[in-house]
Amino acid sequence: ARNMLTGNEPLSILPLNSLPEENVGRAHYKLCDRLKLEKKQRRMCRRDPGVAETLREAITMSALECQYQFRFERWNCTLEGRHRANILKRGFKETAFLYAVSSAGLTHAMAKACSAGRMERCTCDEAPDLENRKAWQWGGCGDNLKYANKFVKDFLGKRSNKDLRARVDMHNTNVGMKVIKAGVETTCKCHGVSGSCTVQTCWRQLLPFHEIGKQLKSRYEASVKVGSSTNEATGEGEISTGRGLPQPEPPQPLPGLNDQIPRTMDLLHIEDSPSFCRPSKYSSGTAARKCYKDKNCDAICCGRGHNTQSREVTRPCQCQVRWCCYVECKQCTQREEVYTCKG
Amino acid sequence: MNLGLGCVCRPVSWPFGSLLDSRHCVFALTLLTLLMQVVVEANSWWSLAMNPLLIPEAYIIGAQPLCSQLVGLSQGQKKLCQLYQDHMQYIGEGAKTGIRECQYQFRHRRWNCSTVDNSSVFGRVMQIGSRETAFTYAISAAGVVNAVSRACREGELSSCGCSRAARPKDLPRDWLWGGCGDNLNYGYRFSKEFVDAREREKSYPKGTYESARLLMNLHNNEAGRRTVSDLAHVSCKCHGVSGSCSLKTCWLQLADFRKVGDALKEKYDSAAAMKLNARGKLVQMHSKFNAPTSHDLVYIESSPDYCLKNQSTGSLGTVGRLCNKTSEGMDGCELMCCGRGYDQYKAQIVERCHCKFHWCCYVKCKRCTKIVDQFVCK
Repeated sequence: ARNMLTGNEPLSILPLNSLPEENVGRAHYKLCDRLKLEKKQRRMCRRDPGVAETLREAITMSALECQYQFRFERWNCTLEGRHRANILKRGFKETAFLYAVSSAGLTHAMAKACSAGRMERCTCDEAPDLENRKAWQWGGCGDNLKYANKFVKDFLGKRSNKDLRARVDMHNTNVGMKVIKAGVETTCKCHGVSGSCTVQTCWRQLLPFHEIGKQLKSRYEASVKVGSSTNEATGEGEISTGRGLPQPEPPQPLPGLNDQIPRTMDLLHIEDSPSFCRPSKYSSGTAARKCYKDKNCDAICCGRGHNTQSREVTRPCQCQVRWCCYVECKQCTQREEVYTCKG
Repeated sequence: MNLGLGCVCRPVSWPFGSLLDSRHCVFALTLLTLLMQVVVEANSWWSLAMNPLLIPEAYIIGAQPLCSQLVGLSQGQKKLCQLYQDHMQYIGEGAKTGIRECQYQFRHRRWNCSTVDNSSVFGRVMQIGSRETAFTYAISAAGVVNAVSRACREGELSSCGCSRAARPKDLPRDWLWGGCGDNLNYGYRFSKEFVDAREREKSYPKGTYESARLLMNLHNNEAGRRTVSDLAHVSCKCHGVSGSCSLKTCWLQLADFRKVGDALKEKYDSAAAMKLNARGKLVQMHSKFNAPTSHDLVYIESSPDYCLKNQSTGSLGTVGRLCNKTSEGMDGCELMCCGRGYDQYKAQIVERCHCKFHWCCYVKCKRCTKIVDQFVCK
């Protein structure tokens, strides 16, 4: 007789490949070395064989999400190392978004990896703080957000009071983690008598990363500009929104915000972004970018105009379901116009 | 010092004399280039828009024909002026409409179609075969079509009357075709004769820049005229029993010029870059893109930098232009000021407010002043 799975058992890693134990143990060292990590981060990577793959997955996921959210903007989050590194050195809104989406991606990937059983040191969501008074029971295998948060906090470093940029970067990293934390959903499955909900099993799940990306994009748009001022009483520098800075005229309240104090869920930036229209060290410009005529060709092409190219596109159309159970589609060709920016 | 004119100042062996000689040479050369710059400034029929309205009565009195006095007309255009003297006023109005629409469409961009003087109108910017030049040529040709067609309908011109266009085939049978429509046909033909006259009377050797410019100007003028003709639509009036639509009369009407301006602005955005081929015809620079039709605008050179003031290109720069702080587009302070930054001023704006309707029948408004922030490029 099979054991009844209640879902509370720790999962053990099955030997999915035929490699002997030592090779598996060494293989992830190579992956850890390939990623450019600091000493402490490399140590954390080597401790657990699942970390390296999770890191790689997190990087890919964050990069793809960033490119998806910015596909209609002038800065489209290109992966070219030189541009990205230069942006990360400054304090633009784009820098804030990159920090937030990277930390969010890592947290998300780590939590999912724990529940998927890819990690040795963590498993499903323990949820000790949940109550079992109701008829349903916590079970299933929820995403282990607690472990993921702890891991990411250790991995990305502690709060440093060095200078304004370091503190703003740390704040933005925390925003990424907080957005993930705020986006936890409870999913339940009913399995009572004939499928009724007298008995339910519920577990916690993170929002899909697309939703997180959308939220972060709207925070990027509402990002608050900050400067630093010294607290006269304690002599410490603190982040302020410019009220204390000497300015020739009173600062205008930013649209959409009623108070000047940045909340913990806002992204912060220090300087205004460049326009990203022309090639610079921050981007390769908007020449030859694909644009959509009615929507954003004016905005992306920065007034330089666009070129039109016609091409034939073959797409599946008139799809029907055949019994049983496949979908049959015809192929339709249509002429479509592709617009690219001049310049 | 070589100024590209083939004159190299050779110093004489004696040291002090050599200094004097080369300085003389330099002085003479700079004077010559300045003179050449003045000569190269081209006048254009657009100047008809800048001069005060020519009153038709002046011709009737029998005074000396004003055509020879009009600055900026070519030989062919002067002949046409003498033949059709009453049309000249409307050509001026058409040019003025075109310039006004151009300034409206470009009000948010770095080059805002501003007029520089009364003879060449836009200055040396039109010497460069850029997209802006293409738009200006097209919209002024369209303005002339518009003005002359309207004038024909209103009976101001002796050589034309209401539109005699054929009844469109898709008009429902019981609608009447009549009324007095804008004489698009006549306006189109007259604009073609007059505006293209300067280009048609010259001929340049194949393969030169001037011949490319000639072809480009002709193409863009045609594009402007065709846009007006495409946007002309059928307009109807119901005049049946107590205003019902049992009886309807329809005629051809030109579109509001704002729509023509919008359509040409879209063509400006998608204008095609051209070059001369071996046979002396204009072909696309990159053949993978769609070929331009006779309704599209073409250009042969890329636009100059409109950010900074430049005497040789005729750019006025963007110093002192108003910009919009919250906009991300071309009128935003980042792009308009080209990264130079902007100053903030408080300006007092007087406008009408608290308007009330009084019986009968006028509207009385108060004047309110309000203080707004204005941002001006450095």
